Formats: sequence, structure tokens, C-alpha cells
Amino acid sequence: MEIGPILSTLRRHKITAFLLVIEIALTCAIVSNAVFLISQRLERMKMPSGVAEHQLVMVQMTHTTPARDAMARTQADLAALRAIPGVKDVTLASQVPLTNSSSNTEIRTDPSQKLPTLNATQYFGQDLIRTFGAQLVAGRDFRPDEYLDYAKVIHNLDLVRTQTSSVVITEALAERLWPGESALGKRIYFAGVETRVVGVVKSLVRPSLFEGDGGAQWSMIFPLRMDVNHASRYVLRTEPGSRRRVLDAAARVLRQLDPHRIILEKQTFAEIRTDYFRNDRAMAGILLGVIVALLTVTALGIVGLASFWVAQRRRTIGVRRALGATRGDILRYFQTENFLLATIGIALGMVLAWGINLFLMQHYEVARLPWIYLPAGALALWLIGQLAVLGPALRASHVPPVVATRSV
Amino acid sequence: MLKMTHLSKVYRTEVVETYALRDFSIDVKEGEFVAVTGPSGSGKTTFLTIAGLLETFTGGEYLLDGADVSGLNDNARSKIRNEKIGFIFQAFNLIPDLNVFDNVEVPLRYRGMKSAERKRRIMDALERVGLASRIKHYPAELSGGQQQRVAIARALAGSPRLLLADEPTGNLDTQMARGVLELLEDIHREGATIVMVTHDPELAARAQRNVHIIDGQEVDIAEEPRFHADHATGSHA
Repeated sequence: MEIGPILSTLRRHKITAFLLVIEIALTCAIVSNAVFLISQRLERMKMPSGVAEHQLVMVQMTHTTPARDAMARTQADLAALRAIPGVKDVTLASQVPLTNSSSNTEIRTDPSQKLPTLNATQYFGQDLIRTFGAQLVAGRDFRPDEYLDYAKVIHNLDLVRTQTSSVVITEALAERLWPGESALGKRIYFAGVETRVVGVVKSLVRPSLFEGDGGAQWSMIFPLRMDVNHASRYVLRTEPGSRRRVLDAAARVLRQLDPHRIILEKQTFAEIRTDYFRNDRAMAGILLGVIVALLTVTALGIVGLASFWVAQRRRTIGVRRALGATRGDILRYFQTENFLLATIGIALGMVLAWGINLFLMQHYEVARLPWIYLPAGALALWLIGQLAVLGPALRASHVPPVVATRSV
Repeated sequence: MLKMTHLSKVYRTEVVETYALRDFSIDVKEGEFVAVTGPSGSGKTTFLTIAGLLETFTGGEYLLDGADVSGLNDNARSKIRNEKIGFIFQAFNLIPDLNVFDNVEVPLRYRGMKSAERKRRIMDALERVGLASRIKHYPAELSGGQQQRVAIARALAGSPRLLLADEPTGNLDTQMARGVLELLEDIHREGATIVMVTHDPELAARAQRNVHIIDGQEVDIAEEPRFHADHATGSHA
């Protein structure tokens, strides 16, 4: 390997070599961070909702005027929706995962606590656990006699303050509140209400991840019956392969039952997920574009500089060939030269990548860059460098030795 | 050492064939110092590039050190250039980005020689040409004569069987040219085989034997007065 003479040559072309090194360093730093940000977005897009996504559809509606007997209207709606062929379960839910509209409350594990333990979201709805397809991992679902009407409770909080209510929570919330212990039978306090954990579901994501992804699974389900004046989303669990048909039928049925009702949205849960992560997907796409653009510019830079050097050194390449260099020797010379420049750039780029990550951590909600992204970025740039220099290096290797005897 | 028999080199285009060498024969024995002379365009440089395996030939036979080189592939030709031939060019052809030491080292690296052996040979060669104290200098920091001495050291370092010199004093003033020529004579006295291409009759006269080329063919100098008229104008191939 001609590392010594190559470095000696590069020292004589400091500015061009320096510019290429800086270009590689910046690309390495930005690409490492961008790949990490993309992976975070993709990971977020795969976040489990805890519901039977492939079976659920949702119809969101609004009323021009409040229903006079909201609970009766609701029960009639539910009965009609259940009668649609292909419908397994249906609920009127206070909120639905990944819809950006949520009801949250600060909770305590001890009523004497001055500060709340955390902020959790609260789901209400009859047969909600069964309809959502949430997976119970401990305890039980609510009994029919535990359900109260939401409308009555909000007009008379004593209905829940004078007795201990039941609550089902997620595994993540249970582990956060009582690490390593069983949550069943434990008490949760909020707004003067004492609740007792009767069940634990594996997962149920918040409708809105406003607190960041850390508390995404801090959810509680209460046995409250919603009515059409206090909830707007019917969620239907369907037989496999009947989502679109059920959705159309549900919207038609709801309009028939109340012509004054406006259907705002009818979506499968797959569409809800797609909508919810639209920004993440767009951001990942933009970052991918930036990566491709940066790598392309860097590759073109390498091609340009290598081509320039090959043209500039044509005579000395001929001399090297005359002195015994094979075509392979010339090819290796340019590849080694590029490898050395890329290595220096990558080393600088890794430091820069770490610095950019620190900046992003301080100013945005970005996690620490895992070390594995640095060698991955390095490998990518080494490969791109070698591919980019291959064309000019092959041209150099075909410079005939007789060039050495020609006048300049 | 170097034997060409009925050698030809033809450059072909769609409409014309140009003979750079035609039915050319030469036999250089081991230890000889031969000058190849001729006017501009006579084929001297073509002869040198073929002799040095820098170019292929069209017809005839070429034996180098007893071996037929006509069917060799590019890598084999590179290996022979590296191990058996030392080149001294008119324009010195040092690599401007490498210092004197690294320049002399170039052919030795391609031979895969160990570092210690390379260093010993480089220092021996540079001492031989009187430039051992300039190993850190770059070509641009040396005079023309010194640069040609470095080129000679580079050629000598590999202990070649044959030294090919192409107008070795063509770019030097008289004093520097004399120094370089004396160096070549010393090297020859030590047993090296040297083939030197030149248009300079004074330089050619220092060789043991002259071969004159006109129109790609060897001719007897006594029968070819054009040579004298041509060199008087100072033109060269």
C-alpha cells in the first residue's frame, strides 16, 4: 500500500483535499443523524395501538341540535349498528386511539399526595374493551352492573365520589405506578374520585401523544355509558373482510335513524393510523430526500475531484506505468487515496454527528444517537466513495505507459 | 540483451498506414553502450518505446534478455519494465508531489520490496548520483541537472538489466549535460547495458556504437548525409 506517498501527495493539494474531507464529514454527520431520525419516525409509526386494527371501523358524527333523549337515541343507534351483517361489536366511545382528540386527567396513587403522579388519558364507553379488541392480561372486564351513564355522572359527581369505582388500566401504566407489583386491587385517585383497578390490558395507546412517546400507553378505561350528546364516535368491530361494506352501511343507518345528523368521518382504523402518522411519514420522506441529495452531491464531488486529479496527473500516471505499475496498481492508488480522504472525513463526521445530536437533544425532543449509526454511516460513505472513484480510477488505469515519453 | 529482428510498427487510420519502424533490426549485447540517432520523425522514440515495452509492435521479433516479449500481456510487460528496464527520460519525469526519496522509491514499491531493502537501495542510488543529502527536497527545488540525476538514481535503484535513455541531456545546459553524460559513462563502465536515443552527434560519439535510423529503418551513417544537415538545425525526434 502506498499510504505514505499518497498522504505526501495530498499534503501538496491541501485545499482540494480539505474541501472533500469537509464535504464527507458534513455528509457523514448529517446522514447519521438523519438516518437515526428516520428510524425513530418509523419506529413511532409502528407504535402498537392495543386495538384490533384490522377489524375496526369508526364513524364520527355531529348533531345540528342536541338529541332530546340522548341515551334512548344512542341505544337505538347501537341496536341498529349491531344488526348490520358483519358487525361483531359496537360502542360509542368517548375517544379513539390515534385521533388527536383526548380527555386526560392527573392521577395519584395516594390521596394525600400534593403533586400528581402522572397524567393519564381516560376512555369511556360501554363494551369498549371487547369492541376495541383490547387484550386483557390480568383481572376482568367490567360487569354490566358497574356501568353508569356519563351524562348523569357529570351532573352529579357524588355518584362516583361516594363509592369506589372500577377502572381497567394498561400494563404500561400499571408498571409505571406500581413497578414489579400486581396492579389488581390497587387504588387510583383523581378529582376526588377513588377507583380500584379490576383489570389490566396489554396495551391501549393515547389518542394524542402530546406528552411525547414515553407516556403513550398511560391509559385508563372507566365503565361509563356515553350518549350521542357527549360522544361522537361509533366504533364497530367487524368480521374479517367486511370493513368497507360495514362502514358504508353504518353511515347509511345512522343517517336514516336521524336525518339531522351529519357524518363527519367514516374511516377504517388503518386509515386512522395512516392519517395520524402522516407528518411522521412526510418527515421521514423529506429526511430521506436530504440523505439521497447529500450522498449524491458528495458522490459527484468525489467523481469530479477524482476526474480532475486523473486528468491533472495523466503524465505521472504514465510515468508510474512506465516504471512498472500495473493497471491494478493505478486503480488501487486512486481507491486508496479516496479511502484515506473518506476515513479522515468520516472520523471528523463522527465527532460532528455527535455534536449535532447533542444540539438536537438540547433543543428538540430527540434521543441520544445510538453508536451503531456511526459505523453504519461510515460504511455507507466508504462504499459511496469507492463506487464514485471507480470510474475515474478505471480511466486512470487505462492511461498507457507510453504517455511518459510524450512531450507535455 | 536486446535483439530486434525485422521489426515493424505501423500506425493505421481508415485511409492511411504509416510505418514508424520498417524491417528494423538491432542487436545490443550485454554491457554495450549504444546510441540510436536519427532526425526528427525518423522513428528513434518509437524504437525506444517498443524496446522499453511501453508500446507493442506490429511485426517482427523482439527478444529481451533472451525472452520473446511479443505475446506478453499488460501485467507481464509491467513486471518486465519494473524488474529489467531502467528509464531515463528527456523531461526527467519525476513526480512533482513526491520528494526525492519517494520518487526513487516508486519502482521499488511496485516490485513489492520490503521497506528496509527499499531504503538501502534508494540511499545507495542517491549516493551514486551525489544527491543523498537532498532526499527531502521536491523536484521543483532542484536544478534540471539534479532532477535528471534523481531520475538516473530511480532507474539505477532497481538494478535493471537495461538502461534506456531518451535524450537524457536534451533539457540541460552544457555543463549539466556533461555531468549527466559522465555519470552514464561511469554506470556503463560498471557493466550496465545502455541504449540511448539522441539527435546530438556529440553525445552519440561518446557511445561505443551508433545505430542510425532514417524513416524507420537502420542505415549506415556514411551513406546518409541528411543526418548531418538535420542535426545542424538542432531538430530531434
